[in-house]
Amino acid sequence: MFNKILIANRGEIAVRIIRACKELGSTAIAVYSDADRRSLHVALADEAYHIGGSAPSESYLVIDKIIEVAKKSGAEAIHPGFGFLSENEEFAKRCEKEKIVFIGPSAEAIRLMGDKITARKIAQQAKVPLVPGSDGAVTDVEASGVADKIGYPVMIKASAGGGGKGMRLVREKEEFESSLRMARSEARSSFGDDSVFVERFVEQPRHVEIQIMADKHGNTLHLFERECSIQRRHQKVIEEAPSSAISEKTRKKMGEVAVKIAKAVKYSGAGTVEFIMDQKENFYFLEMNTRVQVEHPVTEMITGFDIVKWMVRIANGEKLPFKQKDLSINGWAVECRIYAEDPSTNFMPSPGHLTYVKTPGGPGIRDDSSIYSGCDITSFYDPMLSKLVVWADSREAAIDKMASALKEYVVLGVKTNIGFLIRVMNNEEFRQGKFDTGFIERHPELLTAGEVDIEPAIIAAALAIEDSEETIESDKGPQSNWKLLGRKAGLSGGTLI
Amino acid sequence: MTYTFKIKDKVFSVEINQEKDQTVVQINEKDIPVEFEKIDKNLYSIILDGKSLTIGVLKDGKNIQVVMDGDLFEIEAISERDQRKSSQTLSGVQEIKSPMPSRVVKILKEIGDEVAADEGIVVVEAMKMESELKSPIEGKVTDVLVNEGDAVEAGNTLLIVSSD
Repeated sequence: MFNKILIANRGEIAVRIIRACKELGSTAIAVYSDADRRSLHVALADEAYHIGGSAPSESYLVIDKIIEVAKKSGAEAIHPGFGFLSENEEFAKRCEKEKIVFIGPSAEAIRLMGDKITARKIAQQAKVPLVPGSDGAVTDVEASGVADKIGYPVMIKASAGGGGKGMRLVREKEEFESSLRMARSEARSSFGDDSVFVERFVEQPRHVEIQIMADKHGNTLHLFERECSIQRRHQKVIEEAPSSAISEKTRKKMGEVAVKIAKAVKYSGAGTVEFIMDQKENFYFLEMNTRVQVEHPVTEMITGFDIVKWMVRIANGEKLPFKQKDLSINGWAVECRIYAEDPSTNFMPSPGHLTYVKTPGGPGIRDDSSIYSGCDITSFYDPMLSKLVVWADSREAAIDKMASALKEYVVLGVKTNIGFLIRVMNNEEFRQGKFDTGFIERHPELLTAGEVDIEPAIIAAALAIEDSEETIESDKGPQSNWKLLGRKAGLSGGTLI
Repeated sequence: MTYTFKIKDKVFSVEINQEKDQTVVQINEKDIPVEFEKIDKNLYSIILDGKSLTIGVLKDGKNIQVVMDGDLFEIEAISERDQRKSSQTLSGVQEIKSPMPSRVVKILKEIGDEVAADEGIVVVEAMKMESELKSPIEGKVTDVLVNEGDAVEAGNTLLIVSSD
């Protein structure tokens, strides 16, 4: 095993990796920015080094600084976590050059999957299903032909697009010509480029992904799927494993397809192949994330497999100890991402000082976080506070357990989405597994508390005021417990130890 | 001791009385016997007619944040004088402030533009996310103090809206 591992990240994922490194008997080395001196990952690491300013561009994204610390501290390997430099081909290359092991796939695999067009080509060659559509930009005549061939409804998308601009949903052939004209003109005015492509519109899509683990000895396995359809602002909020939306047959096929893609790029380590799936379980390749995923814990809970530790072992040359047929799904796991944000104002981030934190407990409850009473949530980084993960023997039991664990979670000082998450757990459609990526938008009533009995809140507030006034009274006196103890000790001639 | 609490637009008159061994909280004339313990720095265990509740409370001056089942309730403990002031409808000059350190992405109104109450007037970005700030009143934009692309601190005034 590596003697020393540098964790080029912060927040809960750094904490998760530091713990794994320690358990493996390696010295865990943290790096931190100005804003992160008081962060938990620094306190938990065996060694910690300052690498610059609070903005990621001045610290966690600066390759030179991280390499410098790795060399100075004698780190043999670097775990990049997720975000920051985790999918940066240059960083992986630089590690190779400096003879430091990058805990992840090869720079070449990162490059191939990082470019959407290349990734699509690789998937095509591996005969992986892609959303049917035109091969790149099309002329007006070609566009209408493609739409006829793939069948309505279709999406017209600007090649240079983004943010919904130059995008048109066309349900009927009669609307196609005018929609194409509008999409082109919008694309021209927004991006100065009116080229468009045509794709089948996947109705009520679900986001399902497959966890891949591959060693450097040719063993590529999948650890089943994760269901990640509950999203806000195109970001996942609630994930579960397995997915209640797929049959055993689809699960098997999706797993095989994902393994095929990973093998096509000679993948090693942990990776995730993402799919979009319609209500009839037709699924299409979206992209491959060449790093550990935020929601990896739900897979760990249903397989008993420690993904982060195995990333390190694989990077160290170890072989996966089992075959695909040895793996099975045990029970159900759900993850809720607890954010410092206000669901009632379109999930606006709410940074600040966490005055008080109380975390839930009990069997099957896991809190992957880096928060503590007295820590600060700064606006420099993602406002995720914690990933609360539960395991139970069935989906229903896991959801009930999550609702109850969320109620135990108390965070004071910032706004959080905990109340919103509890309401999702109690929502009938969610409980029945009838949802798609549009779930949150369709349920604005879940964003606010609605009609609640406010009396207990008023009582608690009144008690707190009364209490603070009593404290002010007693502060006028000389007595702190330490002073009292000191005085007693002094009087009795004893010494304080 | 009697307090006046404001929660959103609702006002409650609250009184705490000690009757022998029993604490009684009176909310708008209704007496509620309360059994309570402060079990941690910011945490109360409250038993109401046999029902056990755990409630987090953070007091900062007259502003009190109460967390119950994951939801935050913001309570303002107001004096008689404050109460008279707030009984008038929101009007006059309102400063639109940045709620957090952020970057101004888009200014949606110019000086002289009419705005409706709750209409978005400026978009800011922080923590990789864009948020639209809304005007609390109907009126006219009388000043724009920032430019698109500016970095602003929490509490910086971005625009001024006047109802006059």
